[in-house]
Amino acid sequence: MPGFFDKNKKYIAVLALFLVLFWLVTVQVKAGRFTVLEKPVLAVSGFFERIITGTYNGIAGLGRGYVFLVRTERENRRLAKELGDLRLENQIMNELLSENERLREALGFKKLNPPASVTAQVIGRDSSPSSSTVTVNKGSLAGIDRDLAVITPDGIVGRVQAILPGTARVQLLTDPGSTIAVRVQRNREEGLLEGKLNRCALKYVSFYVDVQEGDLLVTSGLDGIYPKGLPVARVTTVRKHEASSFQTVYADPVVRISRLEEVLVFKK
Amino acid sequence: MKPRMYLIVLLLLLPLQASLFGPLPLGSIAPDLGLAVLYCIGLVTGPVEAALAGVAIGLTQDLGSASLIGFSGLTRGVVGLFAGFLGRRVLDIQSPSNIVLLVVFCLAESLFSALFLEITYGSVPLVGLFFGRMVPRAITTALVGYAFLRLMSGKNVLAWLLRRGLQKEL
Repeated sequence: MPGFFDKNKKYIAVLALFLVLFWLVTVQVKAGRFTVLEKPVLAVSGFFERIITGTYNGIAGLGRGYVFLVRTERENRRLAKELGDLRLENQIMNELLSENERLREALGFKKLNPPASVTAQVIGRDSSPSSSTVTVNKGSLAGIDRDLAVITPDGIVGRVQAILPGTARVQLLTDPGSTIAVRVQRNREEGLLEGKLNRCALKYVSFYVDVQEGDLLVTSGLDGIYPKGLPVARVTTVRKHEASSFQTVYADPVVRISRLEEVLVFKK
Repeated sequence: MKPRMYLIVLLLLLPLQASLFGPLPLGSIAPDLGLAVLYCIGLVTGPVEAALAGVAIGLTQDLGSASLIGFSGLTRGVVGLFAGFLGRRVLDIQSPSNIVLLVVFCLAESLFSALFLEITYGSVPLVGLFFGRMVPRAITTALVGYAFLRLMSGKNVLAWLLRRGLQKEL
């Protein structure tokens, strides 16, 4: 028996290391993810990501410049038409906004102020099989803090998970650790949207609640992170099981996660 | 491998993965640089060294992402161990069968991760994940890994990468 241990001591040490890691993971499942050493790693990787992304964008930009020039005329006409439509829509919205403010004032409600935001560029994304995050090129120096909502004009992207002076890591809404309090826009039913890597799942939706494919889910504001009323995901699958008191609802993010280039980070 | 090679791998893995290998034109599908590099390390070093390299690479990736710290360390450690066994007993680094084996390793790791998430958080759409994310990721990772192996089989590359003791052993 001692001979066996002497002969295989390296493998036994490796097995012991695996057991320690397994124990570490089980502890975090119960207590939440540890944040130890997060900042040094983000600092080193953020530094190199800036250099590599800057060089890559510089070289790719040269080629793209020519292609853009060729398409400019067609793009210009399309944008001019879109601008006209948006101006008209904006006028109608302004009318509705001022009417809404008058009514809120008459009812004694607090005035709504849109939160200030910072624009940040996505400089990296992780490829871990068990998480979904991106790195952005703005950090605490730009007023970014942990747990701030990150959006694009289309809808919710995620929340700030770790920050450094010049870099921040954003946990995407598809990350398994992400939870967003949402409402079904059509009937105001509430639920919790959890990330499932390539899509999201609406949790704790009672069997009797009316949720349909195509329904838009918007933030309810109840989680204290995301402002109320922003688009999050669209329902793609609804399955009802007789044996369960809940239904299975899957939804795809309204933001195209794979095409993220620039995001807005809401300040508190 | 030489210690300085490990240092370079650990320093450059996250930034290269995030900035160059992340936003490839294939949408959200990107090759897993860490796994590809680890497989190559496994083939040319041995089970114990590759397992330790896998733990180090996995822990670095855990710290740089939102996953539970130690999770990728564990899965990558196991991948390194098996890749090391393969390298010692079965394969040579130029064999195209490495592509198939890398696909298998990548799929096995992804499936294990998905099952862990299913057990921990529930409601993971396994079928959609398998065809929409795991398979394309495994294929791209295998191609990148095979390209690395071809590069490593070049003249004097292994001598440049490996420690003297390991070169004699091989």
